[in-house]
Amino acid sequence: MSLSARMILVLTCVGLISGGFLAGVDLWTKDKIASNVQQEIEQAIRTVVPGTAVSEKLHEERAFTLYAGKTEDGTLAGYAVYTSGAGFQDTITLMFGTDVELQKLTRLTILKQTETPGLGANIESEDLFLKYWEDRDIQAGLSLHKPAASSPNELTPFEINTITGATISSESVLNLVNLSLDKLKEIIGPGQSGSSEKDGN
Amino acid sequence: MATKTLSAEYVKGLWDENPVFRQLLGMCPTLAVTNAVINGIAMGLATTFVLLLSTLAVSSIKKVIPNQVRIASYVVIIASFVTVADLFLQAFFYPISKALGPYVPLIVVNCVILGRQEAFSSKNSVGRSLIDSLGMSTGFVLALLLLSSVREILGAGTFLGIQVLGPWFKPWIIMLLPAGAFIAFGILLGLALLIESKTKKRRA
Repeated sequence: MSLSARMILVLTCVGLISGGFLAGVDLWTKDKIASNVQQEIEQAIRTVVPGTAVSEKLHEERAFTLYAGKTEDGTLAGYAVYTSGAGFQDTITLMFGTDVELQKLTRLTILKQTETPGLGANIESEDLFLKYWEDRDIQAGLSLHKPAASSPNELTPFEINTITGATISSESVLNLVNLSLDKLKEIIGPGQSGSSEKDGN
Repeated sequence: MATKTLSAEYVKGLWDENPVFRQLLGMCPTLAVTNAVINGIAMGLATTFVLLLSTLAVSSIKKVIPNQVRIASYVVIIASFVTVADLFLQAFFYPISKALGPYVPLIVVNCVILGRQEAFSSKNSVGRSLIDSLGMSTGFVLALLLLSSVREILGAGTFLGIQVLGPWFKPWIIMLLPAGAFIAFGILLGLALLIESKTKKRRA
């Protein structure tokens, strides 16, 4: 056999065997990976919308997914928004919850971020950042409280706290939430309570 | 080379030919993921997995591969095992896979792996190659463990997430940042060279 033929044959075989092997592994792990992601989202919905037992996807578009959190007996407990956008270093993925009337943001949780460790990465910290997001008034837009407050009492209900040394990360999260709130209000409709939303889909 | 005993093939990876401190290979993952001990260990184990399986594959089919396409074949083999490791982590160790982010796919270009195939597995028997790779992986894991311990303890005051330094300690955030990786690695590398030169003098 000529050298070129042998080269082609060997590389083709190596490629085919590797490809087949990978396809097998993918089949084996695909469901498990999908269920991991799903589980993470459901866990987050339960965190941001208190009282949620089951969740239902209401709307999905690019980098914005809307879920309804429902209690055991099927009444609406609130909405959860899953969204992602640019942070300081890379994309931040987060989820926040609102009450049924879209008056209040109940809680925020960060699902994925690669901000600067020790500074921007503190957007995951309960004490420095997340606790300042509880029960915010979202009828108008939220704004940033700067310099950083040391207790939630120092903030007005329309404000969220800045992390010292990580204004850009804090702002990124804030912008992401404000943008998503606008979308949310558009989808649910102004002044419309959740109970009149179609439950059928 | 063939005169070396099997245990010597293993031990050389720990110090004399340690991939990180002696050969300076695989710097990208070494510097990037060592900001926490758990990430260092996970990266080390994932690399070990890929290195051992690639070595097994390359040393078993080395006679079939024409010299001209050997690198291409190695890369295909290595890339396949890296994808397997990546999928496996995503499926069974989801939090770790999220923490390691883009670095698992980058094992493909880790020179420790390609380097061992080219320098050793393509010239030696399956058994000897596996022992060589096991030694190199152990050396790699130990190096990552050392570097990540220094960085996590100084940068966060914790070890494996457990608080080890008291409240008096103000964490050196720079140790968690890329700059800290270079500083810590430079100092450790200097120490390694110092120890090496001291022991050489004693032997002489």
